[in-house]
Amino acid sequence: MEETQQQIQEENYDYSVVKGFVVMASVYFVVGTFIGVYIASELSWPFLNFDIAEITFGRLRPLHTNAVIFAFGGCVLMASAFYSVQRTCHTALWSNKMAWAVFWGWNLVIVSAVITLPLGFTQGKEYAELEWPIDILIALVWVLFTFNFIMTVAKRKTPHIYVSNWFFMGMMVMITYIHVANSLVIPVELFKSYSIFSGTHDAMIQWWWGHNAVGFYLTAGFLGIMYYFVPKQANRPVFSYRLSVLHFWTLMFGYVWLGSHHLQYTALPGWTQSLGAAISIAMIIPSWGGAVNGMMTLSGAWHKLRTDYILRFFIVSLAFYAMSTFEGPVMSIKTVNALSHYTDWTIGHVHSGALGWVGMVGSGALYHMVMRLWSTEMYSTALVAIHFWTATIGTVVYIVAMWVSGIMQGLMWRATNEYGTLKYTFAETVVEMHPYYVMRTAGGFIYFLGTVLMLYNIIMTIKMVKAKGGE
Amino acid sequence: MNKLQEYFYTDWSAMTSNDWVGLIITVVIFILMIAIYSYVLAAGNQEKFDACRYIPFDSDDGDNNKGVVKNER
Repeated sequence: MEETQQQIQEENYDYSVVKGFVVMASVYFVVGTFIGVYIASELSWPFLNFDIAEITFGRLRPLHTNAVIFAFGGCVLMASAFYSVQRTCHTALWSNKMAWAVFWGWNLVIVSAVITLPLGFTQGKEYAELEWPIDILIALVWVLFTFNFIMTVAKRKTPHIYVSNWFFMGMMVMITYIHVANSLVIPVELFKSYSIFSGTHDAMIQWWWGHNAVGFYLTAGFLGIMYYFVPKQANRPVFSYRLSVLHFWTLMFGYVWLGSHHLQYTALPGWTQSLGAAISIAMIIPSWGGAVNGMMTLSGAWHKLRTDYILRFFIVSLAFYAMSTFEGPVMSIKTVNALSHYTDWTIGHVHSGALGWVGMVGSGALYHMVMRLWSTEMYSTALVAIHFWTATIGTVVYIVAMWVSGIMQGLMWRATNEYGTLKYTFAETVVEMHPYYVMRTAGGFIYFLGTVLMLYNIIMTIKMVKAKGGE
Repeated sequence: MNKLQEYFYTDWSAMTSNDWVGLIITVVIFILMIAIYSYVLAAGNQEKFDACRYIPFDSDDGDNNKGVVKNER
Protein backbone atom coordinates (compact mmCIF):
# COMPACT_ATOMS: atom_id res chain seq x y z
CA MET A 1 0.00 0.00 0.00
CA GLU A 2 2.83 2.33 1.01
CA GLU A 3 4.73 1.50 -2.18
CA THR A 4 1.68 2.16 -4.35
CA GLN A 5 1.17 5.50 -2.65
CA GLN A 6 4.80 6.47 -3.22
CA GLN A 7 4.55 5.37 -6.85
CA ILE A 8 1.49 7.57 -7.39
CA GLN A 9 3.28 10.51 -5.76
CA GLU A 10 6.37 10.13 -7.91
CA GLU A 11 4.27 9.77 -11.07
CA ASN A 12 2.11 12.77 -10.44
CA TYR A 13 4.40 15.30 -8.83
CA ASP A 14 8.00 16.50 -9.15
CA TYR A 15 9.39 15.87 -5.70
CA SER A 16 13.09 15.37 -6.45
CA VAL A 17 13.83 19.11 -6.51
CA VAL A 18 11.79 19.61 -3.32
CA LYS A 19 13.93 16.96 -1.62
CA GLY A 20 17.05 18.86 -2.72
CA PHE A 21 15.78 22.11 -1.23
CA VAL A 22 14.73 20.36 2.02
CA VAL A 23 18.20 18.88 2.57
CA MET A 24 20.00 22.13 1.71
CA ALA A 25 17.68 24.13 3.98
CA SER A 26 18.62 21.95 6.95
CA VAL A 27 22.33 22.27 6.11
CA TYR A 28 22.12 26.07 5.77
CA PHE A 29 20.17 26.30 9.04
CA VAL A 30 23.17 24.81 10.86
CA VAL A 31 25.69 26.97 8.97
CA GLY A 32 23.72 30.22 9.39
CA THR A 33 23.08 29.79 13.10
CA PHE A 34 26.70 28.69 13.69
CA ILE A 35 27.97 31.94 12.14
CA GLY A 36 25.43 33.81 14.28
CA VAL A 37 26.73 32.16 17.45
CA TYR A 38 30.32 32.89 16.43
CA ILE A 39 29.74 36.61 15.84
CA ALA A 40 27.72 36.82 19.07
CA SER A 41 30.77 35.29 20.78
CA GLU A 42 32.99 37.91 19.12
CA LEU A 43 30.87 40.64 20.68
CA SER A 44 31.21 38.93 24.07
CA TRP A 45 34.91 38.07 23.73
CA PRO A 46 36.48 40.30 21.05
CA PHE A 47 39.78 38.34 21.00
CA LEU A 48 37.88 35.80 18.85
CA ASN A 49 38.50 38.13 15.90
CA PHE A 50 42.13 36.90 16.03
CA ASP A 51 42.96 40.06 14.07
CA ILE A 52 41.91 38.31 10.87
CA ALA A 53 39.93 40.74 8.73
CA GLU A 54 37.87 38.01 7.03
CA ILE A 55 36.35 36.76 10.28
CA THR A 56 35.67 40.08 11.99
CA PHE A 57 32.12 40.95 13.04
CA GLY A 58 31.72 43.46 10.21
CA ARG A 59 32.48 40.83 7.55
CA LEU A 60 30.69 37.86 9.13
CA ARG A 61 27.51 39.63 10.23
CA PRO A 62 26.21 40.06 6.65
CA LEU A 63 27.24 36.47 5.96
CA HIS A 64 25.11 35.38 8.95
CA THR A 65 22.05 37.35 7.78
CA ASN A 66 22.45 36.17 4.19
CA ALA A 67 22.88 32.55 5.34
CA VAL A 68 19.81 32.47 7.55
CA ILE A 69 17.53 34.65 5.40
CA PHE A 70 18.45 33.72 1.86
CA ALA A 71 20.15 30.33 2.24
CA PHE A 72 17.96 28.71 4.93
CA GLY A 73 14.84 30.86 4.43
CA GLY A 74 15.09 30.75 0.63
CA CYS A 75 15.47 26.97 0.50
CA VAL A 76 12.56 26.45 2.92
CA LEU A 77 10.39 28.80 0.85
CA MET A 78 11.31 27.17 -2.44
CA ALA A 79 10.84 23.65 -1.06
CA SER A 80 7.46 24.39 0.50
CA ALA A 81 6.24 26.51 -2.44
CA PHE A 82 7.12 23.83 -5.02
CA TYR A 83 5.70 21.11 -2.74
CA SER A 84 2.39 22.72 -1.80
CA VAL A 85 1.61 24.29 -5.19
CA GLN A 86 1.61 20.84 -6.79
CA ARG A 87 -0.61 19.36 -4.12
CA THR A 88 -3.11 22.22 -4.01
CA CYS A 89 -3.26 22.55 -7.81
CA HIS A 90 -3.26 18.78 -8.47
CA THR A 91 -0.60 19.08 -11.10
CA ALA A 92 3.15 18.58 -11.49
CA LEU A 93 5.47 21.56 -11.79
CA TRP A 94 5.24 23.44 -15.07
CA SER A 95 8.93 22.71 -15.61
CA ASN A 96 10.94 20.36 -13.43
CA LYS A 97 14.11 21.35 -15.32
CA MET A 98 13.51 25.01 -14.56
CA ALA A 99 12.98 24.12 -10.88
CA TRP A 100 16.40 22.41 -10.89
CA ALA A 101 17.89 25.49 -12.57
CA VAL A 102 16.46 27.52 -9.67
CA PHE A 103 18.01 25.04 -7.20
CA TRP A 104 21.52 25.28 -8.67
CA GLY A 105 21.23 29.02 -9.34
CA TRP A 106 20.16 29.74 -5.77
CA ASN A 107 22.97 27.63 -4.37
CA LEU A 108 25.42 29.45 -6.64
CA VAL A 109 24.19 32.75 -5.13
CA ILE A 110 24.86 31.37 -1.65
CA VAL A 111 28.35 30.13 -2.54
CA SER A 112 29.08 33.57 -4.06
CA ALA A 113 28.00 35.19 -0.79
CA VAL A 114 30.22 32.88 1.24
CA ILE A 115 33.22 33.90 -0.90
CA THR A 116 32.64 37.63 -1.43
CA LEU A 117 31.30 38.83 1.93
CA PRO A 118 34.26 37.70 4.09
CA LEU A 119 36.57 39.22 1.47
CA GLY A 120 34.88 42.56 2.08
CA PHE A 121 32.97 42.97 -1.20
CA THR A 122 29.76 44.67 -0.13
CA GLN A 123 27.31 47.36 -1.20
CA GLY A 124 26.80 48.23 2.47
CA LYS A 125 23.00 47.93 2.19
CA GLU A 126 21.33 45.93 4.94
CA TYR A 127 20.00 42.55 3.74
CA ALA A 128 21.26 43.52 0.25
CA GLU A 129 25.01 43.50 0.73
CA LEU A 130 25.90 41.36 -2.27
CA GLU A 131 27.60 43.15 -5.17
CA TRP A 132 25.94 43.82 -8.51
CA PRO A 133 26.89 40.66 -10.51
CA ILE A 134 25.37 38.51 -7.73
CA ASP A 135 22.33 40.82 -7.57
CA ILE A 136 21.73 40.14 -11.27
CA LEU A 137 22.02 36.39 -10.65
CA ILE A 138 19.54 36.65 -7.76
CA ALA A 139 17.07 38.51 -9.99
CA LEU A 140 17.36 35.91 -12.78
CA VAL A 141 16.94 32.93 -10.46
CA TRP A 142 14.06 34.58 -8.60
CA VAL A 143 12.23 35.35 -11.86
CA LEU A 144 12.62 31.71 -12.95
CA PHE A 145 11.23 30.58 -9.57
CA THR A 146 8.31 33.01 -9.90
CA PHE A 147 7.59 32.13 -13.53
CA ASN A 148 7.64 28.39 -12.87
CA PHE A 149 5.33 28.78 -9.85
CA ILE A 150 2.84 31.01 -11.67
CA MET A 151 2.79 28.71 -14.71
CA THR A 152 2.14 25.74 -12.41
CA VAL A 153 -0.78 27.61 -10.88
CA ALA A 154 -1.99 28.48 -14.39
CA LYS A 155 -2.16 24.81 -15.42
CA ARG A 156 -3.90 23.71 -12.20
CA LYS A 157 -6.71 21.17 -12.27
CA THR A 158 -8.63 22.86 -9.45
CA PRO A 159 -11.02 25.77 -9.99
CA HIS A 160 -9.76 27.86 -7.05
CA ILE A 161 -6.24 29.02 -6.17
CA TYR A 162 -5.71 28.07 -2.52
CA VAL A 163 -4.73 30.94 -0.21
CA SER A 164 -1.18 29.67 0.47
CA ASN A 165 -0.45 30.09 -3.25
CA TRP A 166 -1.69 33.68 -3.13
CA PHE A 167 0.76 34.41 -0.31
CA PHE A 168 3.62 32.77 -2.24
CA MET A 169 2.76 34.73 -5.39
CA GLY A 170 2.43 38.00 -3.46
CA MET A 171 5.92 37.43 -2.08
CA MET A 172 7.36 36.58 -5.49
CA VAL A 173 5.94 39.63 -7.28
CA MET A 174 6.89 42.09 -4.55
CA ILE A 175 10.39 40.72 -3.96
CA THR A 176 11.09 40.87 -7.69
CA TYR A 177 10.45 44.55 -8.00
CA ILE A 178 11.83 45.75 -4.68
CA HIS A 179 15.02 43.72 -5.19
CA VAL A 180 15.49 45.21 -8.65
CA ALA A 181 14.76 48.79 -7.52
CA ASN A 182 17.02 48.54 -4.47
CA SER A 183 19.83 47.01 -6.51
CA LEU A 184 19.98 49.76 -9.15
CA VAL A 185 23.64 50.75 -9.12
CA ILE A 186 26.37 52.09 -11.34
CA PRO A 187 29.10 49.43 -11.53
CA VAL A 188 32.64 50.79 -11.52
CA GLU A 189 34.48 47.48 -11.12
CA LEU A 190 33.57 43.79 -11.13
CA PHE A 191 32.84 43.93 -7.39
CA LYS A 192 32.38 47.65 -6.77
CA SER A 193 29.34 49.79 -7.51
CA TYR A 194 27.52 52.90 -6.32
CA SER A 195 23.78 53.29 -5.78
CA ILE A 196 21.96 55.43 -8.35
CA PHE A 197 20.09 57.01 -5.43
CA SER A 198 21.68 59.41 -3.00
CA GLY A 199 21.09 60.90 0.45
CA THR A 200 17.62 60.54 1.92
CA HIS A 201 16.27 58.91 -1.23
CA ASP A 202 18.87 56.18 -0.93
CA ALA A 203 18.00 55.63 2.74
CA MET A 204 14.28 55.43 1.92
CA ILE A 205 14.81 53.00 -0.96
CA GLN A 206 17.04 50.84 1.24
CA TRP A 207 14.42 50.60 3.99
CA TRP A 208 11.60 50.20 1.49
CA TRP A 209 13.54 47.06 0.51
CA GLY A 210 14.72 46.22 4.03
CA HIS A 211 11.33 46.20 5.69
CA ASN A 212 9.62 44.52 2.78
CA ALA A 213 12.26 41.79 2.72
CA VAL A 214 10.89 41.14 6.21
CA GLY A 215 7.28 41.83 5.23
CA PHE A 216 7.03 39.83 2.04
CA TYR A 217 9.89 37.33 2.15
CA LEU A 218 9.93 36.43 5.86
CA THR A 219 6.25 37.14 6.55
CA ALA A 220 4.06 36.65 3.47
CA GLY A 221 6.13 33.73 2.18
CA PHE A 222 6.16 31.98 5.56
CA LEU A 223 2.44 32.68 5.98
CA GLY A 224 2.01 30.74 2.74
CA ILE A 225 3.78 27.89 4.52
CA MET A 226 1.56 28.33 7.58
CA TYR A 227 -1.72 28.28 5.62
CA TYR A 228 -0.82 25.00 3.94
CA PHE A 229 1.15 23.10 6.57
CA VAL A 230 -0.80 23.93 9.77
CA PRO A 231 -4.10 22.50 8.42
CA LYS A 232 -2.24 19.50 6.96
CA GLN A 233 -0.34 18.73 10.16
CA ALA A 234 -3.44 19.25 12.32
CA ASN A 235 -5.54 17.34 9.79
CA ARG A 236 -8.17 20.04 10.05
CA PRO A 237 -9.15 22.78 7.59
CA VAL A 238 -8.08 26.35 8.26
CA PHE A 239 -10.34 28.03 10.84
CA SER A 240 -11.67 30.78 8.54
CA TYR A 241 -10.96 31.00 4.83
CA ARG A 242 -12.53 34.45 4.64
CA LEU A 243 -10.16 35.71 7.32
CA SER A 244 -7.22 34.28 5.37
CA VAL A 245 -8.29 36.20 2.26
CA LEU A 246 -8.60 39.43 4.25
CA HIS A 247 -5.23 38.69 5.85
CA PHE A 248 -3.66 38.35 2.41
CA TRP A 249 -5.04 41.51 0.83
CA THR A 250 -4.46 43.67 3.89
CA LEU A 251 -0.83 42.55 4.05
CA MET A 252 -0.39 43.21 0.32
CA PHE A 253 -1.90 46.69 0.50
CA GLY A 254 -0.45 47.68 3.84
CA TYR A 255 3.05 46.29 4.26
CA VAL A 256 4.72 48.36 1.53
CA TRP A 257 4.16 51.56 3.52
CA LEU A 258 6.12 50.55 6.62
CA GLY A 259 9.76 51.01 5.58
CA SER A 260 9.92 54.64 6.67
CA HIS A 261 9.50 53.70 10.35
CA HIS A 262 13.14 52.59 10.24
CA LEU A 263 14.11 56.21 9.64
CA GLN A 264 12.47 57.99 12.57
CA TYR A 265 14.28 61.19 13.58
CA THR A 266 16.32 61.31 10.37
CA ALA A 267 16.31 63.71 7.39
CA LEU A 268 13.28 61.89 5.97
CA PRO A 269 10.20 64.21 5.84
CA GLY A 270 8.35 64.09 9.19
CA TRP A 271 5.01 63.17 7.60
CA THR A 272 6.62 60.10 5.99
CA GLN A 273 7.96 58.97 9.36
CA SER A 274 4.53 59.43 10.99
CA LEU A 275 2.77 57.66 8.12
CA GLY A 276 5.13 54.69 8.50
CA ALA A 277 4.28 54.49 12.22
CA ALA A 278 0.52 54.90 11.65
CA ILE A 279 0.31 52.13 9.05
CA SER A 280 2.53 49.93 11.25
CA ILE A 281 0.00 50.21 14.07
CA ALA A 282 -2.83 49.41 11.64
CA MET A 283 -0.99 46.26 10.56
CA ILE A 284 -1.44 44.71 14.01
CA ILE A 285 -5.03 43.91 13.02
CA PRO A 286 -4.38 41.68 9.98
CA SER A 287 -1.28 40.16 11.57
CA TRP A 288 -3.16 39.11 14.68
CA GLY A 289 -6.11 38.02 12.54
CA GLY A 290 -3.76 35.67 10.70
CA ALA A 291 -2.13 34.38 13.89
CA VAL A 292 -5.50 33.69 15.50
CA ASN A 293 -6.69 32.03 12.29
CA GLY A 294 -3.72 29.68 12.38
CA MET A 295 -4.06 28.87 16.07
CA MET A 296 -7.83 28.42 15.95
CA THR A 297 -7.35 25.83 13.22
CA LEU A 298 -6.68 23.57 16.19
CA SER A 299 -10.05 24.49 17.71
CA GLY A 300 -11.44 21.33 19.26
CA ALA A 301 -8.18 19.45 18.75
CA TRP A 302 -5.81 21.09 21.18
CA HIS A 303 -5.02 17.66 22.64
CA LYS A 304 -2.90 16.99 19.54
CA LEU A 305 -0.30 19.37 20.94
CA ARG A 306 0.45 16.86 23.71
CA THR A 307 1.92 14.35 21.31
CA ASP A 308 2.63 16.11 18.02
CA TYR A 309 5.88 18.09 18.31
CA ILE A 310 5.71 19.24 14.69
CA LEU A 311 2.37 20.83 15.42
CA ARG A 312 3.95 22.45 18.48
CA PHE A 313 6.55 24.05 16.21
CA PHE A 314 3.74 25.59 14.16
CA ILE A 315 1.66 26.83 17.08
CA VAL A 316 4.59 28.30 19.03
CA SER A 317 5.80 29.96 15.81
CA LEU A 318 2.39 31.62 15.52
CA ALA A 319 2.69 32.87 19.11
CA PHE A 320 6.05 34.45 18.24
CA TYR A 321 4.53 35.85 15.03
CA ALA A 322 1.77 37.50 17.06
CA MET A 323 4.27 38.79 19.60
CA SER A 324 6.72 40.29 17.12
CA THR A 325 3.97 41.82 14.96
CA PHE A 326 2.75 43.63 18.07
CA GLU A 327 6.21 44.64 19.25
CA GLY A 328 7.27 46.01 15.83
CA PRO A 329 4.42 48.53 15.53
CA VAL A 330 4.95 49.63 19.14
CA MET A 331 8.63 50.23 18.38
CA SER A 332 7.70 52.28 15.31
CA ILE A 333 5.89 54.86 17.47
CA LYS A 334 8.20 57.87 17.64
CA THR A 335 8.16 58.10 21.44
CA VAL A 336 9.15 54.45 21.85
CA ASN A 337 11.54 54.63 18.89
CA ALA A 338 13.41 57.48 20.60
CA LEU A 339 14.43 54.91 23.21
CA SER A 340 14.66 51.72 21.16
CA HIS A 341 16.35 52.82 17.94
CA TYR A 342 20.00 51.81 17.42
CA THR A 343 19.86 49.67 20.59
CA ASP A 344 19.86 45.90 21.12
CA TRP A 345 16.09 46.00 21.58
CA THR A 346 15.87 46.05 17.78
CA ILE A 347 18.12 42.97 17.62
CA GLY A 348 15.84 41.24 20.15
CA HIS A 349 12.76 42.16 18.10
CA VAL A 350 14.28 40.88 14.87
CA HIS A 351 15.25 37.59 16.49
CA SER A 352 11.85 36.99 18.07
CA GLY A 353 10.60 37.06 14.48
CA ALA A 354 13.56 35.22 12.95
CA LEU A 355 14.16 32.49 15.54
CA GLY A 356 10.63 32.25 16.90
CA TRP A 357 8.52 32.70 13.78
CA VAL A 358 10.60 31.97 10.67
CA GLY A 359 12.90 29.34 12.22
CA MET A 360 10.14 27.41 13.95
CA VAL A 361 7.52 27.47 11.19
CA GLY A 362 10.31 26.55 8.76
CA SER A 363 11.43 23.64 10.96
CA GLY A 364 7.85 22.38 11.25
CA ALA A 365 7.44 22.50 7.47
CA LEU A 366 10.74 20.69 6.90
CA TYR A 367 9.81 17.84 9.29
CA HIS A 368 6.36 17.57 7.68
CA MET A 369 7.83 17.40 4.17
CA VAL A 370 10.56 14.90 5.09
CA MET A 371 7.94 12.43 6.34
CA ARG A 372 5.74 12.86 3.25
CA LEU A 373 8.51 13.02 0.65
CA TRP A 374 10.30 9.92 1.89
CA SER A 375 7.04 8.25 3.05
CA THR A 376 8.35 7.49 6.52
CA GLU A 377 8.25 8.49 10.16
CA MET A 378 11.19 10.53 11.49
CA TYR A 379 14.26 8.55 12.56
CA SER A 380 13.80 9.86 16.09
CA THR A 381 10.69 11.56 17.47
CA ALA A 382 12.62 12.21 20.69
CA LEU A 383 15.12 14.34 18.77
CA VAL A 384 12.26 16.36 17.25
CA ALA A 385 11.01 16.97 20.80
CA ILE A 386 14.47 18.04 22.00
CA HIS A 387 14.81 20.32 18.97
CA PHE A 388 11.47 21.92 19.82
CA TRP A 389 12.57 22.69 23.38
CA THR A 390 16.04 23.94 22.40
CA ALA A 391 14.43 26.22 19.79
CA THR A 392 11.89 27.58 22.27
CA ILE A 393 14.29 28.02 25.19
CA GLY A 394 17.08 29.37 22.98
CA THR A 395 14.77 31.98 21.45
CA VAL A 396 13.44 33.12 24.83
CA VAL A 397 16.93 33.41 26.37
CA TYR A 398 18.14 35.35 23.32
CA ILE A 399 15.31 37.87 23.16
CA VAL A 400 15.10 38.45 26.92
CA ALA A 401 18.84 39.24 26.96
CA MET A 402 18.42 41.72 24.12
CA TRP A 403 15.34 43.36 25.61
CA VAL A 404 17.07 44.04 28.92
CA SER A 405 20.30 45.05 27.22
CA GLY A 406 18.53 47.29 24.69
CA ILE A 407 16.33 49.15 27.13
CA MET A 408 19.26 49.67 29.50
CA GLN A 409 21.40 50.86 26.58
CA GLY A 410 18.76 53.35 25.45
CA LEU A 411 18.27 54.70 28.97
CA MET A 412 22.02 55.04 29.56
CA TRP A 413 22.61 56.80 26.24
CA ARG A 414 20.10 59.51 26.98
CA ALA A 415 20.71 59.92 30.72
CA THR A 416 21.97 63.41 31.57
CA ASN A 417 23.44 64.82 34.76
CA GLU A 418 22.43 67.99 36.58
CA TYR A 419 24.50 70.08 34.13
CA GLY A 420 22.65 68.66 31.14
CA THR A 421 25.60 66.71 29.79
CA LEU A 422 25.65 62.96 29.12
CA LYS A 423 25.94 60.88 32.27
CA TYR A 424 27.69 57.90 30.70
CA THR A 425 30.38 57.55 28.08
CA PHE A 426 29.73 55.11 25.22
CA ALA A 427 32.47 52.79 26.56
CA GLU A 428 30.69 52.63 29.94
CA THR A 429 27.48 51.47 28.25
CA VAL A 430 29.42 48.75 26.39
CA VAL A 431 30.79 47.42 29.70
CA GLU A 432 27.25 47.20 31.10
CA MET A 433 26.11 45.25 28.04
CA HIS A 434 28.67 42.47 28.49
CA PRO A 435 26.65 40.05 30.70
CA TYR A 436 23.71 40.28 28.29
CA TYR A 437 25.95 39.66 25.28
CA VAL A 438 27.15 36.48 26.97
CA MET A 439 23.53 35.53 27.71
CA ARG A 440 22.61 36.17 24.06
CA THR A 441 25.49 33.93 22.96
CA ALA A 442 24.18 31.18 25.26
CA GLY A 443 20.62 31.54 23.85
CA GLY A 444 21.92 31.42 20.30
CA PHE A 445 24.06 28.37 21.09
CA ILE A 446 21.07 26.49 22.53
CA TYR A 447 19.10 27.32 19.37
CA PHE A 448 22.05 26.22 17.20
CA LEU A 449 22.20 22.83 18.97
CA GLY A 450 18.59 22.25 17.91
CA THR A 451 19.43 22.88 14.25
CA VAL A 452 22.27 20.32 14.47
CA LEU A 453 19.83 17.77 15.90
CA MET A 454 17.38 18.46 13.08
CA LEU A 455 20.05 17.98 10.40
CA TYR A 456 21.21 14.73 12.05
CA ASN A 457 17.63 13.50 12.35
CA ILE A 458 16.84 14.28 8.71
CA ILE A 459 20.05 12.62 7.44
CA MET A 460 19.37 9.51 9.54
CA THR A 461 15.75 9.41 8.33
CA ILE A 462 16.86 9.48 4.69
CA LYS A 463 19.55 6.84 5.40
CA MET A 464 16.93 4.68 7.10
CA VAL A 465 14.68 4.88 4.02
CA LYS A 466 17.58 4.08 1.68
CA ALA A 467 18.56 1.12 3.81
CA LYS A 468 15.05 -0.23 3.30
CA GLY A 469 15.43 0.17 -0.46
CA GLY A 470 13.61 3.51 -0.83
CA GLU A 471 14.84 6.58 -2.71
CA MET B 1 -10.95 79.14 9.05
CA ASN B 2 -11.40 76.85 12.03
CA LYS B 3 -8.60 74.66 13.36
CA LEU B 4 -9.84 71.52 11.63
CA GLN B 5 -10.00 73.26 8.25
CA GLU B 6 -6.56 74.66 8.89
CA TYR B 7 -5.23 71.19 9.69
CA PHE B 8 -6.57 69.72 6.47
CA TYR B 9 -5.72 72.76 4.30
CA THR B 10 -3.96 71.72 1.11
CA ASP B 11 -2.29 74.00 -1.40
CA TRP B 12 -3.41 72.12 -4.50
CA SER B 13 -1.50 74.41 -6.83
CA ALA B 14 1.74 73.33 -5.14
CA MET B 15 1.12 69.64 -5.89
CA THR B 16 3.90 68.14 -8.05
CA SER B 17 3.31 65.29 -10.48
CA ASN B 18 4.88 62.92 -7.91
CA ASP B 19 2.36 64.14 -5.32
CA TRP B 20 -0.52 63.48 -7.72
CA VAL B 21 0.71 59.97 -8.57
CA GLY B 22 1.06 59.16 -4.86
CA LEU B 23 -2.36 60.59 -4.03
CA ILE B 24 -4.09 58.70 -6.85
CA ILE B 25 -2.40 55.39 -5.92
CA THR B 26 -3.41 55.87 -2.27
CA VAL B 27 -7.04 56.62 -3.11
CA VAL B 28 -7.28 53.73 -5.60
CA ILE B 29 -5.81 51.28 -3.05
CA PHE B 30 -8.23 52.54 -0.39
CA ILE B 31 -11.21 52.00 -2.73
CA LEU B 32 -9.92 48.55 -3.73
CA MET B 33 -9.58 47.57 -0.07
CA ILE B 34 -13.16 48.61 0.64
CA ALA B 35 -14.33 46.62 -2.39
CA ILE B 36 -12.40 43.49 -1.33
CA TYR B 37 -13.59 43.72 2.28
CA SER B 38 -17.20 44.05 1.10
CA TYR B 39 -16.84 41.10 -1.27
CA VAL B 40 -15.19 38.80 1.26
CA LEU B 41 -17.49 39.67 4.13
CA ALA B 42 -20.73 39.53 2.10
CA ALA B 43 -22.94 36.87 3.68
CA GLY B 44 -23.82 35.46 0.25
CA ASN B 45 -20.18 34.56 -0.42
CA GLN B 46 -19.57 32.68 2.82
CA GLU B 47 -20.36 29.23 1.45
CA LYS B 48 -18.15 29.76 -1.58
CA PHE B 49 -15.17 30.74 0.56
CA ASP B 50 -15.74 28.04 3.18
CA ALA B 51 -15.63 25.36 0.50
CA CYS B 52 -12.04 26.37 -0.24
CA ARG B 53 -10.91 25.38 3.26
CA TYR B 54 -10.71 21.73 2.21
CA ILE B 55 -8.47 22.20 -0.84
CA PRO B 56 -5.28 20.96 0.93
CA PHE B 57 -7.10 17.72 1.74
CA ASP B 58 -8.12 17.02 -1.84
CA SER B 59 -4.61 15.87 -2.85
CA ASP B 60 -5.01 12.99 -5.27
CA ASP B 61 -2.21 10.92 -3.71
CA GLY B 62 -4.37 9.85 -0.81
CA ASP B 63 -1.87 11.16 1.73
CA ASN B 64 -3.08 12.38 5.09
CA ASN B 65 -6.70 12.69 3.99
CA LYS B 66 -8.05 10.08 6.28
CA GLY B 67 -10.45 11.37 8.89
CA VAL B 68 -10.26 15.10 8.17
CA VAL B 69 -12.29 16.70 10.90
CA LYS B 70 -14.75 19.30 9.75
CA ASN B 71 -14.57 21.77 12.61
CA GLU B 72 -18.04 23.25 12.48
CA ARG B 73 -18.18 26.71 13.97
